[in-house]
Amino acid sequence: MKVVDLLDQRRENWRELETLCMRFEGRRRSKVEAETAVHFASLYRCACADLALADAYQLPPNTVNYLHQLVGRAHNQLYRSQGFNVGTWFDEIFDRLPRRLFHDGYLRLAFVLFWGFFLASMYLGYASDGFAERVVGEEALRKMEDDHADSAQGRDVDEGLGAVGFYIRHNTSIGLQCFGLGLLFGVGGIFITISNAVGLGTVFGHMATLTTETDFWEFVTAHGPFELTGIVVMSAAGMRLGFSIVATGGYTRGESLRRAGREAFPTIILGMFLFGGAAVIEGLISPSSLPYWTKALVATACSALLVFYFVLLGQRPGD
Amino acid sequence: MAADNAEAIDTQFEIVTPENIAFQYRLAGPFQRLPAFLIDLLIQYAVLIILFLGVLFFFGMIRLGFVGVGLGLVIQFVISWFYAGLFEALWNGQTPGKRLMRLRVISADGQPIRPVQAILRNVLHVADCQPFYLYQVGLWVAACNRRYARLGDLVCGTMVVIEEPQYRSMALRVTEPEALRLAELIPAGFRVPRDMALALSSYVLRRRALPWTRRVQIARHLGEPLRMRFGLPPQTSYDMLLCAMYHRTFFAGAMGQAEAAPRPVGSGEIAVALGATPFADAPPGGSAPVQPLPTVDTTVVG
Repeated sequence: MKVVDLLDQRRENWRELETLCMRFEGRRRSKVEAETAVHFASLYRCACADLALADAYQLPPNTVNYLHQLVGRAHNQLYRSQGFNVGTWFDEIFDRLPRRLFHDGYLRLAFVLFWGFFLASMYLGYASDGFAERVVGEEALRKMEDDHADSAQGRDVDEGLGAVGFYIRHNTSIGLQCFGLGLLFGVGGIFITISNAVGLGTVFGHMATLTTETDFWEFVTAHGPFELTGIVVMSAAGMRLGFSIVATGGYTRGESLRRAGREAFPTIILGMFLFGGAAVIEGLISPSSLPYWTKALVATACSALLVFYFVLLGQRPGD
Repeated sequence: MAADNAEAIDTQFEIVTPENIAFQYRLAGPFQRLPAFLIDLLIQYAVLIILFLGVLFFFGMIRLGFVGVGLGLVIQFVISWFYAGLFEALWNGQTPGKRLMRLRVISADGQPIRPVQAILRNVLHVADCQPFYLYQVGLWVAACNRRYARLGDLVCGTMVVIEEPQYRSMALRVTEPEALRLAELIPAGFRVPRDMALALSSYVLRRRALPWTRRVQIARHLGEPLRMRFGLPPQTSYDMLLCAMYHRTFFAGAMGQAEAAPRPVGSGEIAVALGATPFADAPPGGSAPVQPLPTVDTTVVG
């Protein structure tokens, strides 16, 4: 049998498969009738068989290329990406993730590094002259002071909701950057964690030196627990990613990196929830005219939630 | 296998499907991915501006200007971090830019991309675009591995492949009368071995892109021994001889394809001199034993 005859015989099938591919590419899978799908699958199997036998048939290379494309295209339509599955994600976030984080060395490292450098630079910003100016910059400090100079608090809800949007965008972006940049050079996570801790700690230290009246402390109370924990969590996820290149645990570097990526992903989701919660509090409660004890209460409740999540949910024995 | 070196520099990537078929994808390099990225960037900005203005206008109308600004900022956050990830998760590995450029993201094992992979690989853009959005990290990492994977792709185990837009013709046919004439002069009993058949079709596929002198250079390696063997006159063009061999191997023969071709004058006496019949009845050389073709089970469709 010559190639011509073979092509004549198979061309119809291939064309039909192509047409079906084109149809499927344009619309949702759910709208495809069962019969067509079954027919599609059998056409696909035939094209696979043709490709497998291409060598035996001695097909010329461009016919083989054509078949490669056709099979690849049909393969992509047959095995499509699955949608988001909300149910499994609930389990992941509230069951498996806390237990994993409870034993996560990177989270502990990020926690120690962050709070260690935070407190150290807070002390330096408070005790050492000019430290804050050199670290954060004069301009940023003045702006910080101005923002918190007037204790006349109380925005209306409109302004507050606008601020929520701003904080969601601004803070969560910083958190995601913490995560992503942690990947760089394997140990980038350490650098990012420390630089965030030093920046924030210095501002806190500097604010403590002010003699003028400031609402800074009242402002940061309510949303502090969620926001700072969010940064630690994101940094830890970034560290896990970056360190996996260096400490492979016996896997190849590529495989180690992929495993870390799979494990880090739910952590980012958690981090984004924390930042989202912090943004709502920071926009609506922190600048409001509510008495200080309500804000302290919010902070306490948030801390209690965090303890519940990381410790109580985390320490349960694995299944 | 000799193909190892070729594989190392080629942009083909082979995948074995659950059906136990190996098929190849063409990997997309930076120059395919950059235009797709720029198109996506344009779409992002256009959508962002439209939505932002729309939201501002709407909330301005009901006197909640700040809410509008806040919502606009959230939209900006979502679009800038998750636009590509959400599209790739929902559109089977394509963003609008990738769809226009005929690219698709798939897992390195050939499976479709999972939502987690889609989101993660695009969040990690932040590492790839360092320093200062110059994408040096991504470029260098992509240059250092075979799949053109940037950091985000490495972490997620994904790769970007090209979906061929135009489906090339299934088999090229030789139409030059000279080649068809020569094809009849090739002895019927000559069996074309498998690797020669491959070489012939590779040559015929590429010869149109080559200048005449280069064609002669390349074709003489195979053409000269063949000409001697068949006892063809010395002025025979090697280029045409290879085309003739290709035609003989893949097209002419059993079903009398050659008869359809115009029969040039003067071919008869050479054929007689060679003692060969132009139209072979014998099984043509080179083709593998005919195997029963798998047929489509159309009864399933009803």
